[in-house]
Amino acid sequence: MKKFAYFPGCSLEKMASSYHKSALETTKYFDIELQELDDWNCCGATTYFHLDEILANTLVARNLALAEKEGLDLVAPCSACYKNAYFTTKYFRKDPELAEHINFALEEDDLHFDAKIDVYHLIEIFVNDVGAEKIKEGVQNPLEGLVIAPYYGCQIERPGKGVPESEDPSYFEDLISAMGAKPAYFPERLRCCGGSLIMTSRVPALDMVKVLLASAERNGAHVIATACPLCQVNLECYQSAVNEEFGTDFNLPVLYFTQLLGLALGIAPDKLGIGAELVSAAPVFNKLLPKEAS
Amino acid sequence: MTKDIQLLIVDDDPDYVEGIQTILVKAGYAVDVAYNPKEGFEALGNKRYDLLLLDIMMGRGAEGVMMARKINKDPELRKIPVLIITGIREQMAFLFPGQPVHPRFLPTDEVLEKPVEPDLLLEKVRHLLDLADEKNE
Amino acid sequence: MTSKPTFRDEIANLLYASQGSPTNACIQCGTCSGTCPVANYMDQTPRRLIGMINANLKEDVLDCNTYWFCASCYHCTVRCPADIDIAGVMYAIKRYSIWNKTYREDLVGPRFSEAFMKTVIRSGRSYEPLLAPTYMFHFGPKEFFNEAVNASKMMLKGRIPVLPPRIKRLDNFKNMVKKIIPLGENS
Repeated sequence: MKKFAYFPGCSLEKMASSYHKSALETTKYFDIELQELDDWNCCGATTYFHLDEILANTLVARNLALAEKEGLDLVAPCSACYKNAYFTTKYFRKDPELAEHINFALEEDDLHFDAKIDVYHLIEIFVNDVGAEKIKEGVQNPLEGLVIAPYYGCQIERPGKGVPESEDPSYFEDLISAMGAKPAYFPERLRCCGGSLIMTSRVPALDMVKVLLASAERNGAHVIATACPLCQVNLECYQSAVNEEFGTDFNLPVLYFTQLLGLALGIAPDKLGIGAELVSAAPVFNKLLPKEAS
Repeated sequence: MTKDIQLLIVDDDPDYVEGIQTILVKAGYAVDVAYNPKEGFEALGNKRYDLLLLDIMMGRGAEGVMMARKINKDPELRKIPVLIITGIREQMAFLFPGQPVHPRFLPTDEVLEKPVEPDLLLEKVRHLLDLADEKNE
Repeated sequence: MTSKPTFRDEIANLLYASQGSPTNACIQCGTCSGTCPVANYMDQTPRRLIGMINANLKEDVLDCNTYWFCASCYHCTVRCPADIDIAGVMYAIKRYSIWNKTYREDLVGPRFSEAFMKTVIRSGRSYEPLLAPTYMFHFGPKEFFNEAVNASKMMLKGRIPVLPPRIKRLDNFKNMVKKIIPLGENS
């Protein structure tokens, strides 16, 4: 059994609890244990960095230190949390003076971070540690007939890892194929959803959501799969606001990739948190039903 | 006299620096300026200074604290008295409204909050230089 | 003696620890503006903003909404052929405008940042319902209504917590923060 330290982040506590549930169910299926960090704090998404980057990195480092204390690599399901944890680890490795200063503050909580652990996004666990082959083997209900738009979002591929594939990744598509579904052609898949702007610059953020919904719909997607709670909430919960603002009539379900994977693995929908949607996921099930009836 | 007394200001606010530099030069001090911590350490490496006037909020954030700690750890640099002059209470006031700079968490000799009266500035500078003289004798 | 820094120098000083190139490395190619998903809504596109920084147009730079409309998606940074961390530049101007209180009154961004940070420093966690009243007054009536409707829909689906969360070792956490930002003698 493989074990990781798990940093759910604030949104997975309630707003995205279905992501939390489905992440735990699907990893368990492949014998991977996600051990939640004890007493983790908010990592600040993008907003701390507006005020003081040293303080921002300190708050991120506290969570990393909690994981390092357990001797485990860190997994974050939220792209913003992942980006922060990834960046802070990188800064600790490159800038020993910054690391020393932040460790001086971490002493107050009897913690220390040496950047010895690595940081992964949850989707990387399925792509690298489980792998498409094992996923294919595990699939009980192939999602045949379902066209899924793979929405990477901005921050998974943006920490500047220096890999050229960052401009044209395909692992999300491969994951969808492994579930037995068809990945939609989705040229906007790396475009930002405006999640960090929805509270502060409403119309631009809604416009960004509109572009993504229109692209997914135009390319025949039945559902958008996301790997980030901010993307999910933005694309789904603000869909009616988009319709009102721009006179559109989008009604496109948006589910976490772990929920769709869970369905393919034969895990019961309620265990995957399905039912908490504001845009009903019924069309997804309708696509899958005829096959089950036959 | 004050002529050969060397002061270094590390502060990122050009207008503020211009103000206190004028006051200090008028009083007869020789004053160098660095506008970020990196330049500050370069200056400290090139010349011997008698006193450092240090801002807190610079560069990525509260870098003045980081700089003061680093100076305090260096066996040579720690002999230089450090006078913090900061507007941090204004800059980050929303975090701890109405509360002043916490002296216990700052390895430094004296903290002044902006805006500073010219007379008070000169008095504090004189005082810290005298203290350092006493220590060295 | 060094001459008085220009506005471009001030921005460079804020970014002295950045891995990216300074703004004067900009070749004005416009890749950032073409990439930016918010560019249509910005007073000045990212390319123009960098040109304005390099031309020391301080007031014009600080007056525009561009940096507060940046969604921090880093697409510009990743693509910049001159290796300027453009998202980092936006963050630097945000810091500058908060520290110097030069941001525009009609923007919600700075208030949201301050409210968010304050909530986290008090509890270790963020909590939307506690946050909302501090910045929602700056919304127009339509945004306010939309947000309220959305919040109640999410509440019904059990997606908004009833009680604000907080971490267990909150005192340690607050002392940790004070070592970085040495404010708060009385608490």
